[in-house]
Amino acid sequence: MTSTATSAISAARPIRSRRSTVRREPIAVTIRALLYVIYGLPLLWIVLTSLKQQGDVLGGGGLLFSPTLNAYRDALANPQLPTALLQSGQIALGTTVLVLVLATPFAYALARVNGWIAGLALGVLIFLQMVPQTANIIPLFALFSKAHLLDSTVSLVLANSAMLLPWATLLLRPFFAAVPDAIEEAAAIDGAGRLRAFVAVVLPVVRNGVATVGSLIFLVAWGEFIYAINLFLSPENYPMSALIAQQTSGYGIDWPALMAFAVISSLPLLVVYVLSFRLLREGLAVGSVK
Amino acid sequence: MSTTHNTDRAAPSRRPRRAMTSKSSPGAGQSSSAQRRGGRTRFGFALPGGIFLGILSIYPIVLLVSMSVHEVSSGTLNKSWPAVGLENFAALWSGSDLGNATINTIVFVAVVTAIGVVGGLGVAIVVRSSAIGSAFLLGMMVFIWALPPVVNGSIWKFLLADQGLINTIVRSSGLGEGVPFLYDSRFALLSVALVNAWAVIPFNALVFRSALLAIDPSILEAASMDGASRLQEIRLILIPSARATAVVLAILTVVYAFRSFDFIYVMTSGGPGSSTTTLPFLSYSQAFVQHDYGIGSATGVLSLLIVALLAIVYVRSTRKEEAA
Repeated sequence: MTSTATSAISAARPIRSRRSTVRREPIAVTIRALLYVIYGLPLLWIVLTSLKQQGDVLGGGGLLFSPTLNAYRDALANPQLPTALLQSGQIALGTTVLVLVLATPFAYALARVNGWIAGLALGVLIFLQMVPQTANIIPLFALFSKAHLLDSTVSLVLANSAMLLPWATLLLRPFFAAVPDAIEEAAAIDGAGRLRAFVAVVLPVVRNGVATVGSLIFLVAWGEFIYAINLFLSPENYPMSALIAQQTSGYGIDWPALMAFAVISSLPLLVVYVLSFRLLREGLAVGSVK
Repeated sequence: MSTTHNTDRAAPSRRPRRAMTSKSSPGAGQSSSAQRRGGRTRFGFALPGGIFLGILSIYPIVLLVSMSVHEVSSGTLNKSWPAVGLENFAALWSGSDLGNATINTIVFVAVVTAIGVVGGLGVAIVVRSSAIGSAFLLGMMVFIWALPPVVNGSIWKFLLADQGLINTIVRSSGLGEGVPFLYDSRFALLSVALVNAWAVIPFNALVFRSALLAIDPSILEAASMDGASRLQEIRLILIPSARATAVVLAILTVVYAFRSFDFIYVMTSGGPGSSTTTLPFLSYSQAFVQHDYGIGSATGVLSLLIVALLAIVYVRSTRKEEAA
């Protein structure tokens, strides 16, 4: 890890020296190296542990071990894995689609309408976004139990969407607020209806915002597990996150197996993350504070 | 109907002309709504999301309040619940769980917020340049923030275990016999709080970074020409420009810490004893471990009151920032 850090820093030097204001910063470099360790090491350890045998894991076994793909072979042979991946995918995609379909018009309305009712709606969304999941799961469990929706993927998509819709709407609102009214006026003159103007004119302008929020919702919904372990009554229906949570909260944990599951369930996230990082870096900061 | 009418009353501040045409009769505008540009048609866009939240977010909160004044157990969950008035709250008040969880919550939130905000600003300062070493570090950190909490919680449970990496380092460097980070009630709460702060720092750094990047570069250049040291630059320019962001982020971090459940569940399950049981965790374990949904709801209602207070503080401080 340290070698990556130093090579990355030395590679960066030519770019930095072009800027006139840059001075040598030994303290900043030290802190960055330390951060590489504090954040890189746990990440590295997940991967390393997944390549070990259970016997090599504890008792100081560090970098010296003979790597094996046993944990992955076992994980791939586990009949629960394909089901769990499929469940995670369905829940994450279903939640992303449902939240975006509801949040984009919602955010648009809140960006365009002023007055006390819009203010109240914003306040309610901020409150809902802050409600602890544990306060939601108790009544949702009762509600879904009465509606005979327990143990279904639909209940997970609904619960996740209810949790993430306020956040998504608040994050999207500034993107819509930045769209000039004149664009819509032009569309209205051309005779486009409100809905058509929204879909054909406004949405394309805010596509970055929609992509940012969509990626975030996917990432969070993929990792959600509190609703999953409680709304699914049968562990055969668990998504990846719930399987990992179930294994890790027990005793006598099979660490290589657990870490192999963690790596497998993180790979789709890595793809989504790499594709959306540039958007996330800008979009998160805009929507969180405004 | 009343909502559409209210929207029209809300519109004048923005578009007085159109609001006047629709003021007289709420139903008259329907036929020509496609051409009209009042707030009313736009407010219709909020309806699908509003109705969805009404059913699956606001109604559940009403249900939670109702459950808190009823006796609800696994057996009676799908039947009618006997009303017990404020008995659940009285039971909470006289027991020791609530007080213990409240103290744990305060300590937990204080540690996560202090380290999360100060750490976030510190990281933002050292990674604000777009050099590859900084950009990659920020990218890696934000990826960790985006990873499922079960994954992050598991790896730290592993690293902090008796035979885990941290204790192996402690022992081999002769610092001592190893620390029972997660298995001793003196250390467990602090350990989980530190891991939570670790997980939230990347997000805070990202938001702070954009506040720092908004500083006019000519100010920094002028400071550098006047011979300001790095430390002076940080103290006199960077930190003051991040102050408004820091207030908002501090509230968001308090909320994040208060809501925290995932890491506690994965790393300690509230234990040892009840040393890492915070208010939301207590509510969960009363409902889903002891299957007393009534008491769990009562604790949940108390958590909601705290959240409502935080939401008000948040709205006020963001207004102040926008006005400034």
